[in-house]
Amino acid sequence: MSARDHAARVPLSFLLPGVQARVDAIDEAIDPTQREQLVAYGLAPGRPLVVLQQRPMTLVMIDEVELALEDSVARHVWVTRR
Amino acid sequence: MNASAIALVGNPNVGKSVLFHRLTGAYVNVSNYPGTTVEVARAAACFDATIDLVDTPGVLTLPARSDDERATMRALLHEPLRAVIQVGDAKNLRRTLTLTALLAELGVPTVLALNMHDEAGARGVTVDAEALSDALGIPVVPTVATGGEGVAQLTHRVADASTPQPLLRYDAAAETAIADLAQRIETQAPHPRLTARGMAILYLGQDSEVEAWLQQAAGEASAEFAATRGIAHAAGVTPAALAHERGEAAGTLAARVTARSAQSSPVLAHRIGQWVIHRVWAWPILLGVLFAVYEFVGVFGAGTLVGLMEETVFGGILNPAITGFVQQHISIGWLANLLVGEYGLWTMGMTYALALILPIVTTFFIAFGLLEDSGYFARLSVLANRLFKLIGLNGRAVLPMVLGLGCVTMATLTTRILHSPRERLITIFLMALAIPCSAQLGVVLGLLGGISFSALLIWVVSMFAVLMLAGFLAARLIPGRRIPLVTEMPPIRLPLLGNVAKKTVGRLKWYLIEVIPLFLLGTLIMFLLDQFGALPAIIRAGEPLVSGWLGLPKEASAAFVMGFLRRDFGATGLFALSHQLSPIQAVVGMVTITLFVPCIASVMMIIKEQGLKVAAAMLALIIPFAFLIGGVLNHLLRAVWA
Ligand SMILES: Nc1nc2c(ncn2[C@@H]2O[C@H](COP(=O)(O)OP(=O)(O)OP(=O)(O)O)[C@@H](O)[C@H]2O)c(=O)[nH]1
Ligand SMILES: [Mg+2]
Repeated sequence: MSARDHAARVPLSFLLPGVQARVDAIDEAIDPTQREQLVAYGLAPGRPLVVLQQRPMTLVMIDEVELALEDSVARHVWVTRR
Repeated sequence: MNASAIALVGNPNVGKSVLFHRLTGAYVNVSNYPGTTVEVARAAACFDATIDLVDTPGVLTLPARSDDERATMRALLHEPLRAVIQVGDAKNLRRTLTLTALLAELGVPTVLALNMHDEAGARGVTVDAEALSDALGIPVVPTVATGGEGVAQLTHRVADASTPQPLLRYDAAAETAIADLAQRIETQAPHPRLTARGMAILYLGQDSEVEAWLQQAAGEASAEFAATRGIAHAAGVTPAALAHERGEAAGTLAARVTARSAQSSPVLAHRIGQWVIHRVWAWPILLGVLFAVYEFVGVFGAGTLVGLMEETVFGGILNPAITGFVQQHISIGWLANLLVGEYGLWTMGMTYALALILPIVTTFFIAFGLLEDSGYFARLSVLANRLFKLIGLNGRAVLPMVLGLGCVTMATLTTRILHSPRERLITIFLMALAIPCSAQLGVVLGLLGGISFSALLIWVVSMFAVLMLAGFLAARLIPGRRIPLVTEMPPIRLPLLGNVAKKTVGRLKWYLIEVIPLFLLGTLIMFLLDQFGALPAIIRAGEPLVSGWLGLPKEASAAFVMGFLRRDFGATGLFALSHQLSPIQAVVGMVTITLFVPCIASVMMIIKEQGLKVAAAMLALIIPFAFLIGGVLNHLLRAVWA
């Protein structure tokens, strides 16, 4: 994989199960209360995560937390592959 | 109520209620999903009877954003707290410390119980409690609440509770705004226990309870607070920014005291947790679970046990004996009739309640408790999310609805975990309309299960269709936006039989104490109506609706009258007529009565949570709707099934 791929920011919903990534930013398209909620769950910029599955819903593991996100949210979470 | 209290505070599903039980002896529900506790509970502490222990709903975040979190914030503001026992999940220290940071800012004397040490160990996570205690300047006690480990030490250390060292300073702009606001609060509305700095931070974070408290305390001057906050927000000091900084600080400290050993393979529980929401395997597993529950409750409970109770115990032994005894010793005709006649308190009321419904409710509660504690219920949110989109909700609403199958009244309270008033309103309405509670399920299984499986299936499909239809309409009529689902999956756990047993006993007690008296009252009303000849009048009045529109025997009117008291009692009334009912009539009658409002207690709960107006509107909508659907179903079934 090229270095450019590594740097690319992609929506969380694009990643395949098993992929490790780091959260870059949570888009303003998600409403403020929900952004706050995501951060509280541990999905905050800079944090590493592992994608567990994408269907029926995005499921990620952040440390010991298993978090399920609807596609309309996962689409607006920007991540970088690790 | 004691003059001094200690609150158990913490993130959701970390074991606060288990600890509450350990520290007071009082049992409150414990289940494996976030949102079990939705209102505060209190009891005297075992270790010091002059202190009240207060169990609070779990908070994902403070400032509070949902009604259960607001209840916790209210406890912090209003309870005479001398200290807080913060319960934290050892394997999720970042989240734990985010809350500790806020408690430090509020100046609350705190002891930290680092719970779930067993699970953290199994996942290779170790926390250096001593280092953490040094960093925070408070006692930190590792515990396993379920096994009782560390609980004795925790009680010893409660006396050493002290205010945690601050975990962070915010950025310059935020600190300026906080200091400015704190100074105003200090002079105009100081809180007797909480620091002005902490109050200022929560106010900037838009906590509605703190807002209300300050408004009350400061009166006119609170306009000043709002103006200060407006300026701060414009300068970028937003609730999200503050929360983010707290999270970062907590993360830094958590990383310093946590060690993770690399794991070779994920634990089995973790893999099971993924299978049950796998895009393919989830569905056969769901069917398997439903089948197992049906076998246990529908076949074993409603068939075997009810048969035993009804025919052998009551029909064969108790009823003849009691009837004989009464007729021999009581010569007053109406009194004997009241006890053992057609609408007799014993022969109708108690027989139904104990022989018919009790066995079904018992088996149901056992199955339900096992599922609750396994962590499966919370995962249903993922499976149901797509469906719930259609009715303006997200998968989170599955939890109260599934709990409604146990008791709609309690589940109405659980809607506090939902994030918007709109979601709460829709969910409460749908539960009042179309979710049958355990007692109702009991009679339905008893009646329809006895007819045929297809009768039961038609009932299930009808209820489901009504739920979706009503939800679809409600979502379009009630203004507001749908919130997409973001939710945490609790770990899959092996249910603890002791806990399931305690829960089941608690629920059965509720059934015996709350439901049976109403059954008896219902029987008494029927008896009186019958005695004073009002029953024929009601039957005549209801005839066009009941016989004409619903196609039921005219005596069924009486059942619907009883249904206003408790719908399961009305359903039981139909059951009493079952020898006169055709399969279609039985299904139509059961669907109509199941759509009724569950019971008086549930109406009171709706009034408490949503106000009189909303409750009245729901009633005015639900009753006619029930008859409308019943009639439509009647005509439909006659056209296709007969
Ligand atoms: N393995 C393990 N499980 C625990 C421990 N403490 C609690 N549990 C389990 O965690 C689940 C949640 O416990 P509760 O006491 O209901 O948690 P809570 O903090 O009151 O939860 P909410 O009221 O929803 O905020 C239950 O299934 C408990 O059996 C522990 O120390 N170890
Ligand atoms: Mg609890």
